[in-house]
Amino acid sequence: VGSVVRFRVREGTDPVRMLAGLEGRVHLEREPHRDVDRVVYETFDWRFLAADSILEHRRSGDEAHLVWWSLSSGEVLGQLPVDAVPSFVWHLPYAPVVDRLARVTEVRALMPLVALHTAFESRRLVDGEGKTLARLTLDRTTVDDGPALPAVLELTPVRGYASNADALATLLSAQVGLVPEQDDPVTLALRAVGFAPGSYSSKLRLALDPGATAYGAWITVLRALSAMMQANEAGLRADVDSEFLHDFRVAVRRTRSVLSDALNVFDPDVRSWARDEFRWIGQVTSPPRDADVFVLSMPDFEAALPAVRRGDLKQFQSFLEDYRAETHADLVSALDSDRSRMLFERWREVLDAPLPDLDRAPQAGAPAVEVAGAQIRRAHRRVIRAGRAINAGSHPEELHELRKGAKRLRYLLECFGSLYANDVVGPVVRELKGLQDVLGDYQDTHVQSEAIERFGQQMIERHGAAATTLLAMGSIVEHLDLRGREARDNFADRFQQFDGKEVRRSIDEIGRA
Amino acid sequence: MKVVATYNLKGGVGKTATAVNLAYVAAKEGNRVLVWDLDPQGAASFYFRVKPKVKGGAKALVRGKRELDDVVKGTDFENLDLVPADFSYRNLDLQLEHTKQPTRRLGQLLRPLRKDYDYLFLDCPPSISLASESVFEAADVLLVPLIPTTLSLRALNQLDRFLKTGGVRNPPKVVGFFSMVDRRKRLHRDVIDQVGRRRRVLKSLIPAATDIERMGPRRKPVGAFAPRSRSALAYRELWAEASGRF
Repeated sequence: VGSVVRFRVREGTDPVRMLAGLEGRVHLEREPHRDVDRVVYETFDWRFLAADSILEHRRSGDEAHLVWWSLSSGEVLGQLPVDAVPSFVWHLPYAPVVDRLARVTEVRALMPLVALHTAFESRRLVDGEGKTLARLTLDRTTVDDGPALPAVLELTPVRGYASNADALATLLSAQVGLVPEQDDPVTLALRAVGFAPGSYSSKLRLALDPGATAYGAWITVLRALSAMMQANEAGLRADVDSEFLHDFRVAVRRTRSVLSDALNVFDPDVRSWARDEFRWIGQVTSPPRDADVFVLSMPDFEAALPAVRRGDLKQFQSFLEDYRAETHADLVSALDSDRSRMLFERWREVLDAPLPDLDRAPQAGAPAVEVAGAQIRRAHRRVIRAGRAINAGSHPEELHELRKGAKRLRYLLECFGSLYANDVVGPVVRELKGLQDVLGDYQDTHVQSEAIERFGQQMIERHGAAATTLLAMGSIVEHLDLRGREARDNFADRFQQFDGKEVRRSIDEIGRA
Repeated sequence: MKVVATYNLKGGVGKTATAVNLAYVAAKEGNRVLVWDLDPQGAASFYFRVKPKVKGGAKALVRGKRELDDVVKGTDFENLDLVPADFSYRNLDLQLEHTKQPTRRLGQLLRPLRKDYDYLFLDCPPSISLASESVFEAADVLLVPLIPTTLSLRALNQLDRFLKTGGVRNPPKVVGFFSMVDRRKRLHRDVIDQVGRRRRVLKSLIPAATDIERMGPRRKPVGAFAPRSRSALAYRELWAEASGRF
C-alpha cells in the first residue's frame, strides 16, 4: 500500500499559503475544509497501537463516526456511523468491521484517552482524468484544554500509485517550511498530555542483568509485579473490563510464587509474612475471577446447546451477573480493608529496603543466574516427577497438583527468563504452555461443572429456578465433562512432548549458566 | 470476506452499475471493499477513472505470475479499491482451461485478499462459460439484476437449474432484484406484483433513472455526485436489504 509521509510545518510558515503555492506546480484538487472534534480511544494495554493503528471518534457537523486508521499507511481500516462509543466493541451495531475490531480488543474495553479539535485542509493529487493519485492533508490539532500542536502535513499514497506519491514527497521535502516528522498528530497529542503510548503490557518485559545478585534480581521482578498490581487497581475497582482483575491477580500469584522460590534470598520472617498475605489477597480475587470466566464463557455455553434451548439460559445468565457484582463488591471491600492497606504499605517498604542481613538470607548476594537456575531446575524436576507418575487411574487431584507445579515453573521462566539466552528459554515455555493448556482445560471444566451444580442449588434456594433453565445448565455440565475428558485424553501426548530431549537440554543449559 | 458477484446472462441489465454503486455504499458504511472488473469492456474501471490495464493481463494473473494484490488500485474513495479490467479478460476461458482446476482457480487467486477486505464485488461479463463457472465457485452470493419482464424471470430459473445440476461444488446463494424499473410501464408493474411474494427476489427496486445514466459523464457512483437522488437512495436500500440476506 505504501507508507504515509509526514512533515511538520515550521513555525512562522503559513501552511495554507504553502499549499496554494504547490497548486501552481502540481495538479491538486481542493476538498472541503473540515473542523472535527475527535476523541481517541484505546484499550488499557494499547492494543490498537500494537496493531499499528488508531481508533477515534470524529464528530463534524451532524455526522459522527468511529474511524479506525493505520498509522503507517494512513489508510482507513474501517469506519462506522456511531453517535456514542460503547465500552465494548461488540455493543456496536453489527458490521464486518466490528468483527475486525473485536479481533484487536478481544475482551478489553475501549477507554477514551484524549479529546482533540482538528482543522483539516485536504487536497487530492489528480491526473488528467481527475483520478486521485495521492492525498495531502494538513492537520492543525489542538488538545482540548491543552496545547496547540505543530501543524502536520500528511501525504497518504493511494494503492497502486506509489510513484506519484513519491514524486510529490520529493517536491515537499524541498519546501523550506517543512521538516520531516516521525510521529502522527495523535501520537504527538498523547505525548503532549503525558501519555507514554505502549507503556503498559500484561507481559512482563524485564531485561535482568545477568551479573545481578539474587536479591537484586528478585527485587527487580517483585517491583515490576508490584507496579503491575498498582497499574491495574483503579481499572479493577471501576470494573472497566475483566482484564484488570486478571492482570492484577496474575501479578499477585506471580509474587507469591516468586517468593516461594526465594528461600535464603529474603529474610525468612519477611518472606513468610508476604507469602501469607499475598495468598490471602490471591484468595480474595478468586471468586470474582471465576465469575468473570463464567460470564466470558457464556457464548460458548450457548453454542453448546441446540438453538431452540439457548434462550433457556437467560435466568442463569442474570444469576451470574448478580453473582459477579456481589463478588466484585466483596473484592473492593477487601482492597479497602486495613489488612490490605497494611500489606501494600509494608510491601513497598520491603521493596525499597537494602540487601538483607546475610546471616538471615545467605543466598541474597549469590549470582542471580545460579540461584534462579537452581530453582528452575528444581521446579522442572518436580513437574517431570509428578507427570511421569500420572496414569489412566490417577486421581484428578494429582493432575491439579501437577498443574500447580507447571504454573510455578512457568512463573519462574517468565520472571527470570531474561537472565538466560532467548533460544534456551523459548522452547521450554512453548512446550510448557501446551502442557498447561491441557491441564488447565481439564481442571477448569471440572471446577466449572461443580460450580454450575452449586449455582443451580443456590438459584433454587434464592428465587426458584425454571426447570428449563436447570435442564440447560445440565446440558452445559455434560458438555464440560466431555471437554474435560478430551483434555484428559490429550494429557499423555502433551506431557510426553514436554518430557522430551529439547526441553531437557534447555533446562540443563539454564543450570550450567 | 464476502464475495458478491453481479451476474446475468443478459447484457445491459445494470450489472456494472449495481457493482459500482453497491461497492460505494458498502465502503461509505465503513467496510473495506474491493471491486474486480472482470468485464473486458472495463465499464467499472471507467466509472472509477482507473486505466483498464493489468500488466501481463489475464495470463499472468491466472498462472500466478502476478499476484492479484499487486494490481489493486485505490479509487477516489476511501476503503474502496479496484482490480481493473484488461482487454485480455476476453480470453479468460482459454487461460483457465490451461490450469489444473479451472473452476476453482478464481477462488484460489482471491485467497490472499480475504484478510484485507470485508466485501469483494465481482463485476462479471454476460456469458455462461468457464469464467462464469469459476465465479460461481468463488462467490458467496450471486446478485442478479432483472429487468421486470417474463423472460428475465425465466433466466433466473435457468440459472438456478444450472447451479443445481451443473456440477458447481459450492453453489452461491442466488438473490435477484429488479433493475431499470419503469413504473409507468404496465408490464413492469405486473411482473413486480406477480413475483412480490417470492423470497429470492428482493423488494428494493432500482429505477430506470437519468441519474444512473449520468454516471458515464460524471465517472462516479451515483452516491458521489447525487447523494440525495432517488437512485442513490434506491442503491442504499438495495444494499441494506441484500447485505441483510448475506
